Amino acid sequence: MRSCLAACALAAFGATGALAGKATAPSETPLPAAEVAKDAIVVDITKMKYATPEIHVKVGDTVTWINREAMPHNVHFVAGVLDEQALKGPMLKKEQAYSLTFTEAGTYDYHCTPHPFMRGKVVVE
Amino acid sequence: MALPPNFMPLFRASLIGLGLGCSALALAASAQDAPEAEAPAQETQGQAAARAAAADLAAGQDDEPRILEAPAPDARRVYVNDPAHFAAVTQQFVIDGEAGRVIGMIDGGFLPNPVVADDGSFIAHASTVFSRIARGERTDYVEVFDPVTLLPTADIELPDAPRFLVGTYPWMTSLTPDNKTLLFYQFSPAPAVGVVDLEGKAFKRMLDVPDCYHIFPTAPDTFFMHCRDGSLAKVKFGAEGAPEISHSEVFHPEDEFLINHPAYSSKSGRLVWPTYTGKIHQIDLSSGEAKFLPAVEALTEEERAEGWRPGGWQQVAYHRALDRIYLLVDQRDEWRHKTASRFVVVLDAKTGARIAKFEMGHEIDSINVSQDEKPLLYALSTGDKTLYIHDAESGEELRSVNQLGHGPQVITTADMG
Repeated sequence: MRSCLAACALAAFGATGALAGKATAPSETPLPAAEVAKDAIVVDITKMKYATPEIHVKVGDTVTWINREAMPHNVHFVAGVLDEQALKGPMLKKEQAYSLTFTEAGTYDYHCTPHPFMRGKVVVE
Repeated sequence: MALPPNFMPLFRASLIGLGLGCSALALAASAQDAPEAEAPAQETQGQAAARAAAADLAAGQDDEPRILEAPAPDARRVYVNDPAHFAAVTQQFVIDGEAGRVIGMIDGGFLPNPVVADDGSFIAHASTVFSRIARGERTDYVEVFDPVTLLPTADIELPDAPRFLVGTYPWMTSLTPDNKTLLFYQFSPAPAVGVVDLEGKAFKRMLDVPDCYHIFPTAPDTFFMHCRDGSLAKVKFGAEGAPEISHSEVFHPEDEFLINHPAYSSKSGRLVWPTYTGKIHQIDLSSGEAKFLPAVEALTEEERAEGWRPGGWQQVAYHRALDRIYLLVDQRDEWRHKTASRFVVVLDAKTGARIAKFEMGHEIDSINVSQDEKPLLYALSTGDKTLYIHDAESGEELRSVNQLGHGPQVITTADMG
């Protein structure tokens, strides 16, 4: 919607829990994108989108999201996807990264907390 | 003291009634020396009440405090909701627009969404409370009220706190035309619309919807939404299963910003949606499909060149029978679109022709109209906390009601015709 609606939403943006049943977070807090290994599995975030909205990985792989724009974004898996609790990743500023290591096969949908129209999917094989 | 019909009623507050009785005694004492009463038309409500109370006292009539009922809803009843600048509790004022009297009040929690049945049969809201004022366990619920006693007739809990907490947009919670269902919007974690069965007094389910906002019901099972891509979505839902969703054409470009407070007449199916510049999109939903009418400009080319733009909260009103659009405007910077305006332009919705431009005399944030033959134009000032009541034909200010909470923003009327 092209109005100021999204800016008015009173969403809570705090990070919650580094660990989840089907994934673990190597770091609870964002890391500089420069520290991400060159061979890492990366999903860039740019132009209000996850650049690879569906990514396929293997069990044990670590996926890293890197925000490439000034608008803060995160990854948010609702309750029941990775664990009984929701996993609400920290907000990433420009050139910050956040990773999750997927420990179980399955398809895991996620979105950006303040921008629920930004949606992505990790397929763990 | 028996309360005369024109006495300012105070509902659900018999103790206040006792207090008034004491005040009335003092007034009665001084009234004996007062000159002859003014003509009733010039009397204030307080003066009229004092005169009646003095007369009752003089006649030896005892004071019998009781809980009053509001008069039956009519076309000139108007509701003013006070979101109170995001306070944890809020109020709704029920006002007789004809007399300019507060005839009742309803309490709400955090950023409630009020709805009013067009036939006057009930009022309701979707509200939110917490177990410790503004923290602790959150409960979202829908309350339905009798419009005369103002007593709750239903209290329906919404599971998993799904309400969208946002500055009050009237079309984020809507009644279906048959008044049997309340639909509310969920923003996070995914766009969805909740279905509440008011008749059966039960929450039914959430409907997954696309990335679209606002709810404009056209039938018991159908509503429209406005989508991020600039289209309208039509959503048809049944008792279960995924809703049927279709999209209209994209009807406005990406750099044309539609305000958060469109006007919608559920009875005529007319959706009136201004942009930041005063261009007005009109969509006729009466057939059950979106028919886009020619857009009209509420401001002239000359006015736009002079910096005139719409601004406020409820910036637009639509009178169904007269087919007229009312828009709050003023000279303003492009990005001061939420500041108050001092003028209202009136347009013929069919031709776009300017009918009037009223100088309101106050800083007005929200407007609405009664839907009767000779409508009132309601002009609410959030800063003044006052509802100014105007004649919609001449623009003349007729009366006002002040002390409407902390930051009143939303005016609701019933289209009873």
